[in-house]
Amino acid sequence: MTHNHFTMKEGFLIGGGIIFAGLILQLCIGPVIWEAFAWPVNGIVLTGFLFVIAIIFLLRKRIYIFRFIGTYQAAIPTLVYAAILTIIMGLIRQDANGSWLGNMLTFWPFVLTYAFVAVILGVITLKRLCHFSSNGYVRNMAFLLNHLGLFLALITATLGNADLQRVKMVVSIDEPEQRAITADGAIKEMPFTIILKRFIMETYDNGAPKRFASEIRIDAKAGKSIEATVDVNKPYEVNGWKIYQYSYDTQMGPNSRISILELVSDPWLPFVYTGIYMMLAGAVCMFVLDGRRKEK
Amino acid sequence: MTWEHLIYFAIVAVLMWGTGAWAAWKNKSTTAHVATILGLLVFFSYIVSMWISLERPPLRTMGETRLWYSFFLPLAGIVVYSRWKYKWILSFSTVLAVVFICINLFKPEIHSKTLMPALQSPWFAPHVIVYMFAYAVLGAATLMAIYALVRSTKSQRPAFYAQLDNLVHVGLAFLTIGMLFGALWAKEAWGHYWSWDPKETWAAITWLSYLIYIHYRQLPRQHERIALWTLIISFVLLQMCWWGINYLPSAQGTSVHTYSTSE
Repeated sequence: MTHNHFTMKEGFLIGGGIIFAGLILQLCIGPVIWEAFAWPVNGIVLTGFLFVIAIIFLLRKRIYIFRFIGTYQAAIPTLVYAAILTIIMGLIRQDANGSWLGNMLTFWPFVLTYAFVAVILGVITLKRLCHFSSNGYVRNMAFLLNHLGLFLALITATLGNADLQRVKMVVSIDEPEQRAITADGAIKEMPFTIILKRFIMETYDNGAPKRFASEIRIDAKAGKSIEATVDVNKPYEVNGWKIYQYSYDTQMGPNSRISILELVSDPWLPFVYTGIYMMLAGAVCMFVLDGRRKEK
Repeated sequence: MTWEHLIYFAIVAVLMWGTGAWAAWKNKSTTAHVATILGLLVFFSYIVSMWISLERPPLRTMGETRLWYSFFLPLAGIVVYSRWKYKWILSFSTVLAVVFICINLFKPEIHSKTLMPALQSPWFAPHVIVYMFAYAVLGAATLMAIYALVRSTKSQRPAFYAQLDNLVHVGLAFLTIGMLFGALWAKEAWGHYWSWDPKETWAAITWLSYLIYIHYRQLPRQHERIALWTLIISFVLLQMCWWGINYLPSAQGTSVHTYSTSE
């Protein structure tokens, strides 16, 4: 670190610049259209993103600002901006049809600030991988699990969201159903049919629902047939789709002749879960390590 | 096994936990461990007996989930005690466990208070208990920060900050685990792990805020007051996440995290 002249002030300026750039983008091209990121676009964006991080890392010795990205003085202001934007999101009612602050997830300054968080996470992960710090193997491991885990979860959850499909299917007793309804009301043909064999409902003494579940039979295209029971909190997975108990005919209650199922497909889920499990392991490491620090 | 038998198990368990808490103050580490673990075994045997007699895990009513709170609190207490030897932690966890046991003993009419199907999950007890533990530890850190701000003379002793950072790290570790357990549960219950629901948004805010503190504390030069105020603001944000959003206009009617019974 020969001429490390940047401080938190420059960190705040860079973060402010990112927000400003976001505002310009918002004015010029409008909100972020996440649907446009469906495969293969998200794959290309992810590759480009990783490439940018690698370039920043490799040129860090030549270009000072790239080296600065991997410092606390850059990370703290970015976290502050991310926190403030998220607080605004928490204070203003969010609406999928809203704009600017009323639909923060499509607001460029918010998206770019979190993208910059991800860039920093990527750069410091590479930095730590190349230069394990001297304060112990476990501490480096904890650092990598926390930071790389968050990076992975953040990036794949965001980019993978465009490939997430959530549809509802109304199944009736003894009537095979193949069509599901998307959130916009469009009809989608599923690669299997579902028959409701029996709707199960238990209530408490005051009539409040205690349990509701569906005994179903799933007939896949390949000719195989599966019997399953879908409970709230106990989805059933078939052909990459998770089937959830969603609702029923509330007028009829226990005598409902139909059951409403939600079907969810999320091909990026394994990557997000890898990130989540890494962060869980990182949190446990953090807990264990702090005991050691005191023993020193 | 029924609720009538709870009192016998509870008395024995609480006596054991009380002995453990007393032994911790007296620096009798072995006694503290043995007594607390025996208390946990007694209490857990009641939970298991209920499980067998109900022929399902006792997780369906508020009373049943309170059994798990009473079990997990001393468990978390003994884990923290064996790591850091905080003398106060076992007293703290015992008092909280007794509160939950007393509610179950003196308010039997709410034993069977209904738990909606979405809450009937093995994730429920760990998710809530981990969060409660994080809140308690971070609350203790906040009190230390306020104390240091008020008596700002010689509080900047390294030992003071070492202990403060220690508490925040533990609190943040539990906050992270609670949040991620919540995400894994949400996937099973609602179909997605993160939906930017108001409760989730404020959980993210709280998490970011504590991250700011621990990263700020890594700087070579820092202002004591900024660090302490960051902790206090973080705890205010945590209150917003915990119960504040129930009163927040922007969250009305939009959160799936509102239940007829309080969390």
